[in-house]
Amino acid sequence: MPESNSNIQSLEFLLFKAGNAQVFEKIFKSNYNKITGFCNQFIFDLDKSKSIAQESFLKLWLNREKVETANGIYSFLYTAARTECLNYLRHKNIEGKYHQKSIEEKEFLLSHDILNSFQLNEMEFSELEEAIKKAIEELPERCREVFIKSRFEGKKNREIAEDLGIALKSVETNMTRALKFLRKSLSEYLTILIALLLHL
Amino acid sequence: MDYNTIIKYLQGLASADEKQQFFAWLEEDPANKKEFAELKKIWALTEKGKEDENSAYLQFRQSENRKNRRTQLFKVFKQAAAVIVLIGLGVVASQLLKSTEKEQEIYAASYSVKAPLGQMTNLELPDGTMVVLNSGSTISYKSNFSYGNREVTLEGEAFFDVQKDKEYPFVVKAPLLDIKVYGTSFNIEAYPGDESFSATLVEGSVSILNKHGDELSMLKPGENASMNQLDKQLVIKKVNTEIYTSWKKGLITFRSEKLEDIAKRLERWYNVEIVIRDEKLKQERYFGTILKNKPIDQILEVFKLTTSLEYEIIPRANQPTLIYWN
Repeated sequence: MPESNSNIQSLEFLLFKAGNAQVFEKIFKSNYNKITGFCNQFIFDLDKSKSIAQESFLKLWLNREKVETANGIYSFLYTAARTECLNYLRHKNIEGKYHQKSIEEKEFLLSHDILNSFQLNEMEFSELEEAIKKAIEELPERCREVFIKSRFEGKKNREIAEDLGIALKSVETNMTRALKFLRKSLSEYLTILIALLLHL
Repeated sequence: MDYNTIIKYLQGLASADEKQQFFAWLEEDPANKKEFAELKKIWALTEKGKEDENSAYLQFRQSENRKNRRTQLFKVFKQAAAVIVLIGLGVVASQLLKSTEKEQEIYAASYSVKAPLGQMTNLELPDGTMVVLNSGSTISYKSNFSYGNREVTLEGEAFFDVQKDKEYPFVVKAPLLDIKVYGTSFNIEAYPGDESFSATLVEGSVSILNKHGDELSMLKPGENASMNQLDKQLVIKKVNTEIYTSWKKGLITFRSEKLEDIAKRLERWYNVEIVIRDEKLKQERYFGTILKNKPIDQILEVFKLTTSLEYEIIPRANQPTLIYWN
């Protein structure tokens, strides 16, 4: 998810469209880990996620003239990554009855279903992006601290407990509260995004 | 279900047992799956990898270069083909004009020839007049040209060597002024974007006419007439005609011209886009001659050595190369 400091300014966006390498480098570096992380959440293969991210940026570079808004850059990247991940997951999905599948197969199927229902078109995406940013800001203070440390700083629960001088249990409670809160405040956007879920 | 288990699963930290529990919960109720899908989306959009961005970027550049090498080669071929096609078109067009004069009387259509950006085009008009069209310039004429009507319209710059014909004058219509000629050679510069007009006579005599057909002045060989769109004052001065016509020999001569104006010419000749970032630099003047057939980077080096400008070249796919002057 793009944070405010990685959003590019309108002049930079024009330079990006004109093929300016420095601006592209900035976009690459501030979004590479987000795209890699996004892919890995669905395909559970870091090397493959990295190569999908690379491919997505190459597609962005080659199609930069077609991108119409600065926000379009992010939805382009996520959409390209989503398509590649879905292709990958399709190969992983073995025919057969759901209840006879292994946990690993079920995980791939679940990933596929969720990603397939994830519509990342430009308007909804930028709305969702704003909404997530806003919802995180609105989290109760401790909750927000825990969530940001866990999600954006990549800290383990134990490290967060040490950082904030709170019990491990309290970190877990706050993460749960944060997720419940986010789901509630984002429900409007998320239900639109879920078209249909198969197999259940 | 306990959110801790869901979070553990999202974090990829769930044990085999916890995964079993998780899927059991998920399969219990479609609402559970919906709930999880929502959490997963929030999770995925707030996920960030821990890879080194700098080395990832280097890797990107390397693989991009490998992929591009083939397309770049292809592009060179395409450009070469375009030049051949255009030269071919010029020849075909003038051949066609000569052979089908009769038919042209019936269809008073008009012809136009355009020199592509970065290229010059030579052409012979049906009356035998030779025209060298500079880059980005267009000349057009009616199909009944040469039947007592020798009139062409010019947008851009061209050198004319007009076939003598006492009875029928040769007229060049430019956006600002017209020129009437009786067999002579001269150079006209009237690019639309430049908002000015400039005609230089090499030999013979020409009249400069306003748009109502009134004669404003007669030029003598070695004289240049210019007019600026803003003040509309016609200025006649003695010049070294070589400076104004050197472009057709592949030489570019600048005599105390503003870098801003020079940039406009380079844009046309090399099919590049020049952006001058420094306002002062725009007004700086340059005096010298450069060889036009040299690649743009060599030309820019010459400017760098003799003026205070610094440049940056940014190649772009499917668009003219972008050059910054600082």
